[in-house]
Formats: sequence, C-alpha cells, structure tokens
Amino acid sequence: MAKIGKTLLKLDNVTMKFGGVTALNGVNLEVKEGEILALIGPNGAGKTTVFNVITGVYKQTSGIVDFDGISLGNQKRYQVTALGVARTFQNIRLWGDMTALENVITATDVHKKSGLVGALFGFPRARREETENRERAMEILRFIGIDEYSDRLAKNLPYGVQRRLEIARALGTAPKLLLLDEPAAGFNPAEKVELAATIKKVRDAGYTVLLIEHDMSLIMGISDRVVVLDFGTKIADDIPSVVQNDPRVIEAYLGVPADAS
Amino acid sequence: MKIRNYWNLRDFGANLWENAGRPVRVAIVLISIVLVGLLPFTGGSFLATPIASFDAVLVYPVGMFVLMSLGLNIVVGKSGMLDLGYVAFFAIGAYTMAILGTTTKLNTWEVMPIGIALSMIAGVLLGIPTLRLRGDYLAIVTLGFGEIVRLVLLNSSWSKGPNGIANVPMPPNIGPLKFELENQKVFFWVVMAMILLTIWMIRRLTVRRPGRAWEAIRQDEDAAELMGVPTLKYKIWSFTLGAAVGGAAGVLYASKNLYIAPEMFTLNVSILILACVVFGGIGNIWGVVIGATILGYLPDRIRFISDARLLVFGLVLVIVMNFRPDGLLPRKKREKAIVKKEANA
Repeated sequence: MAKIGKTLLKLDNVTMKFGGVTALNGVNLEVKEGEILALIGPNGAGKTTVFNVITGVYKQTSGIVDFDGISLGNQKRYQVTALGVARTFQNIRLWGDMTALENVITATDVHKKSGLVGALFGFPRARREETENRERAMEILRFIGIDEYSDRLAKNLPYGVQRRLEIARALGTAPKLLLLDEPAAGFNPAEKVELAATIKKVRDAGYTVLLIEHDMSLIMGISDRVVVLDFGTKIADDIPSVVQNDPRVIEAYLGVPADAS
Repeated sequence: MKIRNYWNLRDFGANLWENAGRPVRVAIVLISIVLVGLLPFTGGSFLATPIASFDAVLVYPVGMFVLMSLGLNIVVGKSGMLDLGYVAFFAIGAYTMAILGTTTKLNTWEVMPIGIALSMIAGVLLGIPTLRLRGDYLAIVTLGFGEIVRLVLLNSSWSKGPNGIANVPMPPNIGPLKFELENQKVFFWVVMAMILLTIWMIRRLTVRRPGRAWEAIRQDEDAAELMGVPTLKYKIWSFTLGAAVGGAAGVLYASKNLYIAPEMFTLNVSILILACVVFGGIGNIWGVVIGATILGYLPDRIRFISDARLLVFGLVLVIVMNFRPDGLLPRKKREKAIVKKEANA
C-alpha cells in the first residue's frame, strides 16, 4: 500500500453551468497524493464534467481548481497536461493510424524542449530526446504489459489492448495525477480483474489515480476513497465500505423505495 | 498473397527500401536523381508534348505542380487542414520576385529568401487568427484569403494592377549553366533541387516530433491537445512551411515566366494543386509527386485533341478516383511486425 500524502488536487466549490443546465453544483473534491480515488454516480451525474473541468476542456462557471498549488483556471489544455494531469477517454480516442508505440511517444513529447527547427536540422538535443522518448515509451508499454503490440496500428488492436494503450499514453506524459474515465467499460469479469491489478500497479509506481467507474466490485476492490456525485452535487465522500451502505447513495442509484413513507 | 504484394506498388517499394542496406539505398537515390535529371533529354521520344516545348512543360506545369503539391501536402496531408487559398503564397512569392527584380538590382537567388520569408510571414499572419477554425470553416477562410490577395494585386498601383509586371529578370547563370527561354533544362534542374530539398525537409520532420504532432492533430485534435501537443503552434508551423514552399515556387515561376499578372493566381490554381494532392494520395510524398506529375503533364501531352483535352482530363480524374478513392499511392502505414511474420510463414 502506497503512502497517502498531501493534497494534490483540490476542487473548491466548483460550479459548471451550460446555459440553464447546472452540470456541477458547488462540488468540493480533494485528491491526495498516492491514493486511488473513485468518482461514481448515476448516468448524467457530472463525473466526466469533473474531468473536463480539471483538464481545461471546459472552464468552470465559478469555483477554484487548484493543482499542486497552481490554479488550473487560466491554463490551456496542453499546459494542464504539461503541469502533470493526464487523462483517458470514456470513448477510446487513440490516434488510430499511428502505432501503439508512436501513440505513447507523442505523449512523451510534452516535456521535451526541442521543436521543429531542432528536428529539421537534427540538433544533438533533438536526436537525444528522440531516443529518450522512444525508450521511455517502450518502457511504459512493457509496464502496462502491451509491449508485444508496439508496432501494431492502434486501430487494429483488440479492444482491451486499446483501453490499456489509453492508460499507457496518459502515463507517457509523466503525470502526477492520472484521470481514468471508465477504463473498464466493455470489459468481461476476467479483464476487469486484470485491469484492477494494472491500476494498483500504476498507483504503486507513484502515480495518483482519480477514477470514474460504474463497476462496483472493481471500485470496492481497489479504491482508497469513493466520492459519489448525483445531479452535479457531491452526496458522499468516504471509504468504500461506508459509501456502500450510505442510504443516500443507494437512493441515488436505485431510487426511493415505493414503500418508503 | 505474394502476387498481390507486387501489385501493391507502395508496399513493394517500401519492402525494397527496408531490405536494402545503406550503400544500396544511396545508389537507388543517386540513380533516381540522375534518371529524373536526364528527363529533359527525352523530348524526342513518345513523351514529347505536341505543342509546348517539352523542357518548358517539365518546368511548368510539371515541376512547379510537384513542388507546390508537396508544400500543400504538408498542410492538407500531414496535418489535415483544408487550405483552398494556397495560390496566395505562390502569388506572394511571384510578386516579390517581379517587384524586387524590376525595381532593384537583386537577382533571383537573392530574392528567393525574401520571397520565402514574406510568404511565411503571410502564413503566420493568416494562421494565428484562422487556425482556431477547423474543417469547412478553415477551408472557407483560406479560400477568402486567396481571393483577397488576388484582388489586392489586381487593384493596386504598386502591382501594376491587371496589366501585371513584365520584364522580370531571369536568374543569373550558375557557372556554365545558362538560363534560356528556348532551353529550360537548367530551370528544370533548379526546380528539381527545390523538390528534393522539400522532400528532405518533409521526411525529416515526419519521423520526428513535428510529424507526430501533425499526425495526432490530423487524427484527433482534441485528444492531441489533451495529451500535451501545443496544437496551435504546430498547425501554424505546418501552414508556414507550406507557405514557404509555395513562395519559393512563386519566385522561380516569376523569374522563368518573365511576366506575371493577377489572372495567373486564381482559385483554379489552388483547386488544381489540391486535386494533384488528392489524386496522388493525400499524405504520401511519392503519391503526391506522381499525382502532380500526371496532372501537370497530361493536359499538355494530349494538347493535339485541342478542346477535348479538358474533357479527357476530367474523365481521367473521375475514373482514377473511382477505382482508387484514396489516390494512386495512398497513405497507409504498414505494420512491420505482421509483415515480417507473414514473410517468415
């Protein structure tokens, strides 16, 4: 079990409105270094919106997103990534016509200094960085356990490998915080067990994980803490066993029993 | 399976290249360069164009089309931005040469960097506000830019309006190589050198960071940005490099044609260059080279059927695009591991 440290990401009273629709309503959320935090909630609860606000896809209507002492409000999306937040996508968004390895190398480029001119004239730094990136990307593929697919085009990979490649690509940016958006979607039980092991391995390697997931057995098995959203509001925030029995959470998922009153 | 491989020219060529050692590769490159360089001497053969001189056709349209298509391919093929105003950069290069060539003592080679720089500046100025747009919207804005440049040239006194600029000087001789109107071999070799330089540049960039960034932007721009690719920066670079190639082609064109006028830089040219790229195979350098060569050469080769040639030209386009919708030599990345496995089996 990794040691849980200081607060890495803090959402303070974040509200996100789209016209008249309030997707997030005063959400407070803290992610601590070294933990696996699960974010759950019924469909449309605002889970992915939280990710989109953190990564700069949307700018929050009000509230503060603080990452490691830096406000993410005014950062461009690629700058957020450079600061150390990486994500995967609910619907796989790999670059299909690139090989698995190239997908990860492209992500590793974010922390490199050399640009177009260096690449064109083959400056030593550009050459060195190319080699470093290639080695690191290969290492990550090995770490995630999909290195045998390195030369295959992403679009031709089996579904499960694509999901894993998304995680590998996100790790390529050397994030402090890894956001996983339903990584187990479409997995069979055996694959889910494997994925849970992978996520634990990622955390044990020093990454902090914020995870959106629907599969309760997966969440209860690996997360240190669970945050529940319902209609854009946080309704629970505790260790899995407590959240599991919280009447408000059960109500949000199953509705109020007909004979309640 | 094996027989199919030979019909697949792209894979056949790539296999040949990959299995060759360094000396063989150098030999292939040198021999190809010499063979292409000797093309102007084949004017007596079946290749000859009936009305225009064969040398001249090889320079314009063929060579120029290849050069411009390669430039446009950086924008359209590599980074997936539809640019319908590419002729603007060609025009900027050409007018830089025409104006500086007639009013100052600068020769073609001295104007070349200035023309390229001005095209690139125009590329950046156009790129910064417009490259936030995507797809159709970008296409419309670039189309507008192309027309604006032409209309400015048509209506300004410094560009001599619709009269155009005559007496543009020819390039000075390079040692024993003389630039002549009747014998355009030297022009052809210069265009060839520029094409080789462009190919070198594209190949270099493609396998490194900028190429990956463009590829990522082309396939999924949002994902690219969220994975830390500074998309706007690389899109502007792509646009600017495309502009530079177009500008270089323009400088040489003015110096070869000796006379330029706004009517040479219409939307048609942009569309035709785009057609070359699509016809040959978007994103594939060799496809684009072949496509531009055919589309540049064909209308002049069949000039003997006079007016019907455009009909034939259109027919060829339709037929080829019907049978090869991705172009003559489409971009398709091969999966090395699999190809090797099949070869062993």
